[in-house]
Formats: sequence, C-alpha cells, structure tokens
Amino acid sequence: MSKTINLGLHLVDRQLLDSEDRRCGNVDDLALEGGPGEKLEVVAIFSGPGVWRWRAGLIGRFSAWIGGGSVVRIPWEEVASVSAHVKLRKRAEELGLGRGDDRLRPFIQKIPGADL
Amino acid sequence: MKIFQIALGILAAIGGFVDIGDLVFNVSAGATFGYQLLWVVIIGVVGIIVYSEMCGRVATVSGKAVFDAVRERLGFRTGLAALVSAQVVNLMTLTAEIGGVAICLQLLSGLPYRGLILLAGVALAIVVWTTSFDWIERIFGYGGLCLLVFAVAAVKLHPSWGAVGHGLVPHVPSQSPLLYAYFAVGLLGAAMTPYEVYFYSSGAVEEQWTPKDLGLNKANAMIGYGLGGFLSFALMIVGGALFLGKGIEPEFLGTIAMGAEVPLGQIGLVLALVGILFAVGGAAIDTLFSGAYNLAQFLGWEWGRYRSNSGAPRFTLTWVVLLVLGLGLVMTGVDPVQLTEYAVIFSAVALPLTYIPILLVANDRSYMREYVNGRLANVLGLFYLVVIVLIALTAVPLLILTNAGQN
Repeated sequence: MSKTINLGLHLVDRQLLDSEDRRCGNVDDLALEGGPGEKLEVVAIFSGPGVWRWRAGLIGRFSAWIGGGSVVRIPWEEVASVSAHVKLRKRAEELGLGRGDDRLRPFIQKIPGADL
Repeated sequence: MKIFQIALGILAAIGGFVDIGDLVFNVSAGATFGYQLLWVVIIGVVGIIVYSEMCGRVATVSGKAVFDAVRERLGFRTGLAALVSAQVVNLMTLTAEIGGVAICLQLLSGLPYRGLILLAGVALAIVVWTTSFDWIERIFGYGGLCLLVFAVAAVKLHPSWGAVGHGLVPHVPSQSPLLYAYFAVGLLGAAMTPYEVYFYSSGAVEEQWTPKDLGLNKANAMIGYGLGGFLSFALMIVGGALFLGKGIEPEFLGTIAMGAEVPLGQIGLVLALVGILFAVGGAAIDTLFSGAYNLAQFLGWEWGRYRSNSGAPRFTLTWVVLLVLGLGLVMTGVDPVQLTEYAVIFSAVALPLTYIPILLVANDRSYMREYVNGRLANVLGLFYLVVIVLIALTAVPLLILTNAGQN
C-alpha cells in the first residue's frame, strides 16, 4: 500500500473486517516506529477496550474497566487493505479478535431459533 | 416486485415517523393551534428525507451505518458522549412505545394494563427473534397503513380548507408565541428523531443494498417519509377540527383514536387502534434495534438481523437487555404519552451529534467516490444543520418555560 493516508482520519476508529468480512473490532490505536529524524512507520494496530485507558483520560479508564481492558496487537502485515473499513488477511479467531462474540455464542445457541 | 421493495421506507415512515411521539405532538398541536403549525410538518419532512437519503447512500456505498460514522468522525470521547445521549433517548422512546403497544391492546381487549405490558414484551421478543428483517418491515409497515383512516377522518370532519391552506404558510401567531415555538420544536424533533436515521441507515446494510439500489434508497426516503408527512397532516387536521377550542388535550392514545371514531364510527375506531398498534409496535422494534445497532457499531462488534441471532451474539444480547430494561421502566407505571414528550424534546438536543458526522462522511470522496453529496444535498444538509442546532439550543428552555406545553 503506497498511497498516502491520513492516519487520524482514515485509519484510527475504523471498523476492522476479517478475511471473511466478519466485523471484529475497531482500530483503537496504532503502533508507530521511527527515531528522531527518521521516517515514521505504522507497524501495528491496537484493538480492544484496554486502549481507551491511554486514549481518553478518566472516561477512557472507566470505559476500559467496564470493557474488560484487553488489547490485541495486529501486525501491519496482516492488513489487506484500507478503505471504508480496514480489511485483514486472516480470520478473526487467528488474530485473537472478536472473542466477546465467540464466548457468548454458545449460550445464545442453546435457545431455540438461534440460527434464524 | 418493485413495489414491495419500498417496505423499508414504509416501516421507517410508519414505525419511525408516525410513532407515539408524532401521534401525540401532531394531534396536540392541532388541538392547541388548529392548522397553524402545518408548515412545520413540511420543514420536518423535507429534513428527514434529506438526511435519510444521505445516510442511506453512505451505508449503501461504504457499508457504514450512522454510529460507524460517528465513531470515525467524532473519535472515541465525543463519540461516546453522542452514544450515551443517543442510548438514553432511545431507551426513553422504546419505553414509551412499549407502553403505547400495551395501551392499544388494552383499548382493544379491555384486559388489565400490566398483564398486557408483559404480553407486549413477549410478543415483541418472539417477533424479533424469529422473523427476518424483511418480514418485520412488511408486517409493521403495512399493518400501520391502517392509520390512513385518519386521512379519511380528516376529510369527513369538513375542516375549513382555507384555514388549512393558511396553515401551510410559515407564520408566527401573536398569541402565546412561546407555546407555539414549543410545539414547532416538538414537531421538528418528532419528525427528525435520530433513531429514524440509525434504523434507516442500518436497514440499508441489512437489506444489503449496493450502489445499484441508490434509486431505491431515494424512493424509500421520499415515498416513506412523504407518506409519514401526509399522515402527520391528517392527524393535525383531525386534532384541529375536533378538539380545538373545546379544552380537550389529547393526553391519552384513546383520545387520538377517537379522532377517527367521531366521523367514522366503530370501524374508524378499530382501524385507528390497529394502525396505532402496528405503528408503535414497529417503532418499538425500530428503537430496540437502533439501540443495539448504535452500541455494536460504536464498538466494532458484529451486528445485524441478517447475521442470525447467534451470528451476532453481542448485538442479540444488547437488544434483549434493552427490551428487558424498557419493560421494567414501563412497569414502574410511567405515563407513556408524557414520557414521549420528554423523549422528543431531549432527542432534539442529541440531533447535531447525529447529523454532523453523516454530513461529513457523505462528503468524503475517498470512499463515497462519485456518490458524494451533490450541491443540492449539501445546501439542504447545511440548512437543516442550522435548523437542528437551533432546535437543540431552544428545546430544553422551551420545555421549562412552557411547562412542557401545559400553559
């Protein structure tokens, strides 16, 4: 991906889609690398409620606490494309994303008509 | 069949536009000011058409529904404030609609209210759990068409058409201008309630529209909300012809239904009650889904009825929790009609945080490509943004100054 993108506007807070178009979290923050005078490079995406702790002050810490505080790091190589959504190369499970849904699913499946 | 494809618009119109808030505000406005506020309905209808078309187009082209855009453009912190205010107003509205369903069932059956609240809750849960999005749209949208009985009633009541025509021209009366302003803000708030666009934009994703369906989007917004505006007109004319100057405040849903009974007899009453039942029932489902859409979109969870109940587990859990909360609140005995007035006024305050991100995203060429806003959409969008900000700033002061329209 060589085109220029505005990280704040076109990457942070975007929806993550896995390789099967499953919605599996947001881009909550980015890991940038590069020393003084060097070119900055995005090396990873952070996703999960734990990120809000360092992004949004007191409200963020409170929200992170409610959300369980987990953070998933997705290496930039796993990003397939950036458009309206950020599309990933692998399935959510392989990257450790969408675990909240996966944990809840067995309970919902016990109710008749869960697959309707 | 092309004609069935405007079901989203019809449900958005019946369940979203003509919900308990519009029933109350339109008939009350008629009872208090006759036909003098009809022009406000036109402004409200055009506003909701402009923004529904816009957010439907954004959702169709980019797959982004409203709270996806809110999170992206307002960021986590401001977005969270938008989310919290949206969810509070949404829960108030949901509660009022569930109460409305129970009142209709009570008027139709004569059984005790509290038992019917439970029945309404169970029925809503079963419908949402088992029925596909398409069928929910059809059942409630087309069932709500019984409300057209109010159009017949309006004609049968032989209103002074000259006065109706005068009401279509914007003006401010010399008597009680504050109360007039309160009703104007309430009517605009009820017409442009934010949950309508939450539901409509997410509905475009549920229906899996592609850019080929953009014509359908336009038709849905125009026909659906146009129909909603037509019904609003009818309700206000009925309110004016029947209740103006008689000291009758339509404080009960039953009084509103009487508007069809007086000119049309028993059959009018039954059709009105069935129409109201489907309209508020549809609105209950709209708000239920809207609450779940908003939370899921803000947090990046899987969402949508098209994913099946177990396909979007946290989305499913959210609507179940919201339904239980709404039922609990109705059970406290809160008056749904009064609650709806507050819900409409507070939703007016939340309007800018909903509509600004839509306008911004609809102008983002990077993924809207050739489908970005044209000049007309932007001029109207900006005009309505000014209207929305005015409403948001004046809503609560007017609520206090007029004692919620009571003076």
